[in-house]
Amino acid sequence: MVEPVTNLEDLIQIEICPARFLSPETAERLLNELSNIEGITRAFVHGPRLPKTVPYGPATGHDVDHKFSKNIKIGETEMDLAVIVGRIRLEILNEEVRENIREVCERTLPMGYEFREGLFIQKRQTVSDFAKRGPNADLTTLGLADPKGKVGNRVCMLNPAE
Amino acid sequence: MAYEAQYYPGATSVAENRRKHMSGKVEKLREVSDDDLTLVLGHRAPGSDYPSTHPPLAEMGEPECSIREMVEPTPGAKAGDRVRYVQFVDSMYNAPSTPYFRTYAAAINFRGVDPGTLSGRQVVEARERDMEEVAKFQLETEMSCPALASLRGATVHGHSLRLPEDGIMFDMLDRCRLENGVVIMHKDQVGRAIDKKVDFGKPMSEEEAAKRTTIYRVDNVAFRDDAEVIEWVHTIFEKRTAYGFKPE
Repeated sequence: MVEPVTNLEDLIQIEICPARFLSPETAERLLNELSNIEGITRAFVHGPRLPKTVPYGPATGHDVDHKFSKNIKIGETEMDLAVIVGRIRLEILNEEVRENIREVCERTLPMGYEFREGLFIQKRQTVSDFAKRGPNADLTTLGLADPKGKVGNRVCMLNPAE
Repeated sequence: MAYEAQYYPGATSVAENRRKHMSGKVEKLREVSDDDLTLVLGHRAPGSDYPSTHPPLAEMGEPECSIREMVEPTPGAKAGDRVRYVQFVDSMYNAPSTPYFRTYAAAINFRGVDPGTLSGRQVVEARERDMEEVAKFQLETEMSCPALASLRGATVHGHSLRLPEDGIMFDMLDRCRLENGVVIMHKDQVGRAIDKKVDFGKPMSEEEAAKRTTIYRVDNVAFRDDAEVIEWVHTIFEKRTAYGFKPE
């Protein structure tokens, strides 16, 4: 990972969508390999939520203890998987990085995957972002977490700027 | 010549499977014991009596009614059972059945049932022992695959999602797991932990699921491949449009 870049307009965004939801082990392997690639500025892991307790219905409040809800280690950073990994969206510096990422996917995703370029992580503040974080908000966390939620427990810095 | 009911048009494997589900002539693939079924349904403790909402009909002294005389009550109604539900969810990735065909199967082949058809789930409400009969039939036969269909009283959204790597339809409440090659259910249909792991057997292979499914998919049997089905869908569409047209 590289230091945050302030000019977000020049960056490329890609999305990796595996043919199957990834187990924590495969997700850990893929994310670790991605974290070794130079030139990724931001990453966004997307998928259905894994709740700690049953959120509604007759069993509300019972523990779920989901088989996919595990701690994974990316480099030196440990994080709790709050979703089952369905898509990974990345913001990268250039096309060379994109080809390196494609190689990693070929190696770690034997089930097949879709790989596309587009706009997946927002680049400008919305009204909600502005209302929540104000005019001087950190642009690196923009679009990585729900503006109405708490950023702290959802955004993870692998290589924070000194 | 005796009349034989015709259920669904078409010459493809999907059409044939749809006919099987509707007629109830499905292959039995696994055995689920009564206690196991009671456990995963979660309405009462296994082995306990059926709680009732009214005394047995024989003791109640029913009013004189020609319809009551003509129609034999179901065992559940006769005993005064509570009305309880079972809900199935079928994956869009070649699950053997779909909500519509579970409903056809229940409504055509069982009495005293109230099936509810939704986009991702299918619920059957009936007197408890009648409902258990429907649930057992659907669980034990080729209408269910333990990996691609499951009992879910609440939280059903995995049906429309990609399958996880192990091929067991995603469940936010983690009721089913693949253990030593067989699918076990360790929670009841609403997500409460149960005392025992209920074994539902081996999941179907991808090829078998594609062969037994009632879902038309372009990557298996496409809807447009079945000329007879298309013809009938067009006919019904045309007729309902024509008969619904009411110039004032």
